Amino acid sequence: MDIQSFNDIKELLTALKREDRLFYEMFGKRKSLEFKLSYALELVDFDEARIDYLVKKSVLRENGGLLEIDGLFLEFFEQVLEVNEEINLASIDENIKSIQENIVYFLNENSEHRRHAYLREIKRIFRKIGVVTIRSVIDLRRKVDNTFKNEPNFKNKQLKLKHLDEKRVMVKKLSGQALDLINENQLVFFKTSQDEELKRIITELKLQLNECSHNLIEIEKQIIDYLNQIKHQGLFLEKLRKLKYLKDHFTIEAETDIKQHLAKRNSLIFERRLGEPLNLSLDYILNEERAFASIKKVAKNYKSRTHIVLELAETIATDFLENNVEQEVMINLEEVRNHFLATGDNLFNFIVNYNFNKDVGFEERVTVYCQLVSIYDQEFMIANEFENFNGVEYAMVYPK
Amino acid sequence: MKTKYTSEIFELLRRGRFICSNSPDDRIKMLYNILEEEETFYELQNYFAHINYNLEHGNEYFYFSRLESNTDLDRKLNKAFGWIDLLDFLKTFDTSFDVGFRFSPAEIVNQLKNNADLKNKLDNLKRLGADKKNYSERVKKIIEQLVKDDFVALENEMSETYKVLTSFNYLKELVTAINIPEEIENEIPE
Repeated sequence: MDIQSFNDIKELLTALKREDRLFYEMFGKRKSLEFKLSYALELVDFDEARIDYLVKKSVLRENGGLLEIDGLFLEFFEQVLEVNEEINLASIDENIKSIQENIVYFLNENSEHRRHAYLREIKRIFRKIGVVTIRSVIDLRRKVDNTFKNEPNFKNKQLKLKHLDEKRVMVKKLSGQALDLINENQLVFFKTSQDEELKRIITELKLQLNECSHNLIEIEKQIIDYLNQIKHQGLFLEKLRKLKYLKDHFTIEAETDIKQHLAKRNSLIFERRLGEPLNLSLDYILNEERAFASIKKVAKNYKSRTHIVLELAETIATDFLENNVEQEVMINLEEVRNHFLATGDNLFNFIVNYNFNKDVGFEERVTVYCQLVSIYDQEFMIANEFENFNGVEYAMVYPK
Repeated sequence: MKTKYTSEIFELLRRGRFICSNSPDDRIKMLYNILEEEETFYELQNYFAHINYNLEHGNEYFYFSRLESNTDLDRKLNKAFGWIDLLDFLKTFDTSFDVGFRFSPAEIVNQLKNNADLKNKLDNLKRLGADKKNYSERVKKIIEQLVKDDFVALENEMSETYKVLTSFNYLKELVTAINIPEEIENEIPE
């Protein structure tokens, strides 16, 4: 693909203006690595020719369905908007060189008009040096802070800080060079040139460089501090991780001197916190006004508690407690049997005529007969003869 | 006689607490300043020694120790193991967790959502708040423990911001002081 450049600034601005929506989106997403061509098409009303045009003019670059802003433009946008992340020291260096060149041209030139042009260039570059140096110091400071706080990778954090420290040294060197240029190297030029504006610019630049050098000292301190912290933290983290490993593998007691170490430490923090059950001084309770107030307070708490009254049953009437004897004469079957065994009578006849010490009806006597026969059948002889009495047929039973 | 804050200092320290130079509690900060005066410090150290407490000056903190051990080794080991786990958890949460660091429980809970390592470590901190079901309560429990041991303190109640106290140095010194023999050290994987 042949690369074309824009014909003039107007064409460039028009092109940028036409695709402002696209540039806005792409610039916002410049940190993420993916900006899909299909998404870009949406932003140019699906007119592929418009993107092709920008690619041709090398404003955009296309790679495997992904789109990005060309480095040159991206840098321009970032620098102008002051959001650049890279600290570009090459430009300071270049500027100093070009001032030196221009000064030489200026001194060699005789034509007043041309001399003026060189002077203007020199002033422009001086102004630029001031701004760029200040900006790089600010960027440096921000980057140091950001790196320390946000870089998750431990080794990279350390490396990045070291590199930033190198940049700091560079900035310092360059601002020193700029000062040398003004104060020593080109004395003739500054003496001869009577331009008021130049003097003002130089004074301002000196102030700016002075401020920079103060800031640089502060940054240096900061970097050293951060590096120390990292080193310290790194060692500590390493140690902690190892101890944790040993602990989790239950070998910490055997393989380190933790036991001896703890045996030496008698800090109170290892101890159980005990409450002290101290008794109150009796004198204090009896004599102090404050103690009395406390007692009243506590007593009030006690009073407010609802007493649970037990529900009692009524008293039992005394007559319930007296002994009531009820007597009943029971028939002692065994005694009846004994008496019967002593006679020669038959059982039924014996029972009908037996004196039971109470009134016993015929029916009951029959029951007693049945009970005796069933209980003591082994001791009686039950004959196979039957008789009738009062309509009851009964077996003849004799003692054995 | 000494300083009028003797009893206050004693009451704090005898509970195993620390007097830290960066405590958000102005009262404690003031006690720190009092103790920092060399003369007062030696006088009090002498004074407390009579009742078997040894006043010690650590890196930006004061604490009590005893001349003779009052605790069995097992308890100390247990406590130290707990601290190692806790430190490991906190450093996983943020490697710059150190003296002066500020954090809120919400930040830890938030990171639990996308840091599996941290979550794993929290699950392994069984001793603390194992009965609690949700993470925010467990984190709260952990912070409570840290506050109880006086390693962090609540700085801002509204935003629930805690600050790591200088007594954190005590833990760090403890870890640093433990010696791992070189041949063992080489066996531990990276």
